[in-house]
Amino acid sequence: MTEGALVVEDLDVRYGGVHAVRGVSFSVERGEIVGLIGANGAGKSSTLHAVMGLVSSAAGEVRAAGASLRRRRPEDVARAGIALVPEGRRVFAELTVDENLRLGLAARRSRGGSPGLLEHVYELFPVVREFRRRPAGALSGGQQQQLAIARALVAEPDVLLLDEPSLGLAPRVVDLVFDALAAIREQGLAVLLVEQRAQRTVALADRSHVLANGELRLTLGPEDAADTETMVAAYFS
Amino acid sequence: MRRETALELAGPAALVVAAALLGALVSRSTEGYFTDALVKVAIVVALYVFIGNSGVLSFGHISFVAIGAWTAGVLSVPASEKPAIMPNLAGFLRDRAVGNLSSLALAALAGGVCALVVALPLMRLSGLAAGIATFAVLEITHNLLRYYEKVGPGLNTFSSVPETTGLRQAALGALAVVAAAFAYGRSRFGRLLRATREDPAAARAVGVSVYRQRLIAFALSGALAGLAGGLYVHLLPISTEGVYLDLTFITLAMLVIGGTTSLWGAVVGALAVSALDSTLAEAENGLTVFGATLDLPAGTRVVVVGALMALVLILRPSGLTGGREFRLPRVSADAA
Amino acid sequence: MTLAVLNIEWQTLADATALGAVYALMAVGIGLVFGVLRLVNFAYGQLVMAGAYALALASQWEWPVWAGIVLCFAVVLALSLLMDRLVFRPLRGQSPAVMLVATFAVAFLLQSIALLAFGPLGKIATSLASLNRPVTVGGVDIRKITIVAIVVAALCLLALVLLLERTTVGLHMRAASMDFATARLLGVRANRVIGAAVLVSGALAAVVAIMLTVQNPLVTPDFALRDTIVVLAGVVVGGLNRPIPATLGGFAIGFASGILGGALPTEKSQYLPSFLFAAVILVLLVRPGGLFTRYRGAVERV
Repeated sequence: MTEGALVVEDLDVRYGGVHAVRGVSFSVERGEIVGLIGANGAGKSSTLHAVMGLVSSAAGEVRAAGASLRRRRPEDVARAGIALVPEGRRVFAELTVDENLRLGLAARRSRGGSPGLLEHVYELFPVVREFRRRPAGALSGGQQQQLAIARALVAEPDVLLLDEPSLGLAPRVVDLVFDALAAIREQGLAVLLVEQRAQRTVALADRSHVLANGELRLTLGPEDAADTETMVAAYFS
Repeated sequence: MRRETALELAGPAALVVAAALLGALVSRSTEGYFTDALVKVAIVVALYVFIGNSGVLSFGHISFVAIGAWTAGVLSVPASEKPAIMPNLAGFLRDRAVGNLSSLALAALAGGVCALVVALPLMRLSGLAAGIATFAVLEITHNLLRYYEKVGPGLNTFSSVPETTGLRQAALGALAVVAAAFAYGRSRFGRLLRATREDPAAARAVGVSVYRQRLIAFALSGALAGLAGGLYVHLLPISTEGVYLDLTFITLAMLVIGGTTSLWGAVVGALAVSALDSTLAEAENGLTVFGATLDLPAGTRVVVVGALMALVLILRPSGLTGGREFRLPRVSADAA
Repeated sequence: MTLAVLNIEWQTLADATALGAVYALMAVGIGLVFGVLRLVNFAYGQLVMAGAYALALASQWEWPVWAGIVLCFAVVLALSLLMDRLVFRPLRGQSPAVMLVATFAVAFLLQSIALLAFGPLGKIATSLASLNRPVTVGGVDIRKITIVAIVVAALCLLALVLLLERTTVGLHMRAASMDFATARLLGVRANRVIGAAVLVSGALAAVVAIMLTVQNPLVTPDFALRDTIVVLAGVVVGGLNRPIPATLGGFAIGFASGILGGALPTEKSQYLPSFLFAAVILVLLVRPGGLFTRYRGAVERV
């Protein structure tokens, strides 16, 4: 079987005395969205941080297209084709929208222009084109979220990681973001979506893993989205 | 007092006494190094009282050493000699002279009061801001003492100060400072302050006033630094440059190298670095050791001490003692 | 007002502007490194000192002026990179206070190495001494170096602005100084950005060394020590966190020192440092972000 775009094996993360992630394993293929849901503190963000090399004390294995990502610096992981849209968006408020996008280019592996790429990004998130020259801090929360995703896409990643993109967003914007994710899936990216909005995530993703207490408890498919009982049980198991 | 607690005082005190005894055995010229080392112990322990317990860096404590030195010096120069060296001295200072012990007590008082005044605004600051602000205090003190001739000799060196700090006074002074530091460290205030060092948020949550604890420690350490300054001025003629950046550097180096967070570290650091510094100073003048002659160029000592301090900060920030207090090695029952 | 009095005033004004310009460059040098490393480099003055010694040696060996300048740059840049590798890199992630003490130690270390190597009496750097001669502009005598310093500083600052605003590495540096962690997640290489900041900072130190040796040709181990301390004060007062306020702070302190130093009689100007550092304390207490910033927060941003 060919190796997935992102493979996580027996991931273990400790922060001081806290065992945040315990032996988690899953994979994400190209052209699919895998959801990671669970209550606060379940270990979802820690998993993403470990993939990006932000946690020095992780054990286990993380591979992208067969190559190990363990012990790599965050900028090297980014340059290997993994893009993270961090929790809270983390746009550079004092830089313009354009400059924020240009920063995203830092991780691009292909040389030379890719004119179609920018157009594509603008198509997904028209607000980014509209506010090109404004400082990113002047954008609303929803617009900043779109910018953050656009910035990640500009690097032409193979794998896109998102940490709670819908946090604090109005429903209309959440729709926009989730539609964009579907489109991104069409493009052939591997998407790992960490979310608290369990229902929408389960409905959108090809597979959703439920994390509780650092452990992977349950895997749900889109057909389970309507089954509230299973969801509640999974969360509080 | 429990045995461990008693050891925490006994260890540093014993080291001080040992240094004093050793100093009494060597030649007169070498004795000076030991006396100087003991005064350094007093300064470094004073630094520890604040920096070690609070975790806040202060670049300005030598100001209080300077203030103590000035107080003790100006007051103990015999009234007849004052006009010669300090012609512009203010009236009430000019006509009076006090004895040795009084000068030391007043030095401590002056140091403590000034430290309190400085601490009132500054103890709200932490980290980098505290470091810069206390450095500013050092600069202001240096500037004022250098030019304000109503309170001291200004640009000139302090001379005619009775040289009462011999080995005994230095040792007693150092022991007094060590004892005070120990008492503070074991007291409720010391424990509360250390709590704020370890986990400021938790300490605040249980109602500890970080500001007040730091204030107390800063004032006390200022008083102790003032006392040390008094000892210093009775040891040799000093000038404003002698209680400025160089002294700040060497005493901070001693504290860091010994171990910032413990009394034992402060004493060990002061004595160890003094020993190293003195040996190198001798080597700079030509030193015969084991039949071979060591003749180092002038200035080597600062290079060595500076390099050592940088290395410790980079490789072993907790210092020689690891920041721990003095303990006797345990012989465990099941040692095989 | 006689022409003579006017003459002095113009001279003082020009000198003060030149001093402010040089201090502004130092402020940028310090501010750049602080931006990416959150480290106040107490040893920055030693970089200037090293450059000055290079010029003095070149002067002693009777090298042509351009060779001396090249040597100055080479020495300062090499020392900057060495400092980064040996001191800054191992200290990354430590608290700012530890970094301050460490650079304080490095400053003393370098100063004492210079003392060891060159002795306390100092060396003379005379290569550019011709710039110390006056030129008459509009009926007023101004030393050439005054004009040169202002022009050179302005050009350096312009080049820096272009670097930061128009180039990719400049964009990376700006982003890194705002949010290093996120910048790395986007692929910005930490070591490269830090290296760039260190190099630019070093280049500025070399320029400052050249400017300062014209007016003070005697190079001693504590060359530029007082200047560094004053500039640090100015940077803190102006605003440590952002490049523009930091630069303004540096310029303001230099300009103010020049004006007050030239205009006040000696007895009154002696206490200038006290006022200056009292201002530093005041700013740290009341407006820790700096006087020239809109940012009202603390000196450190976690």
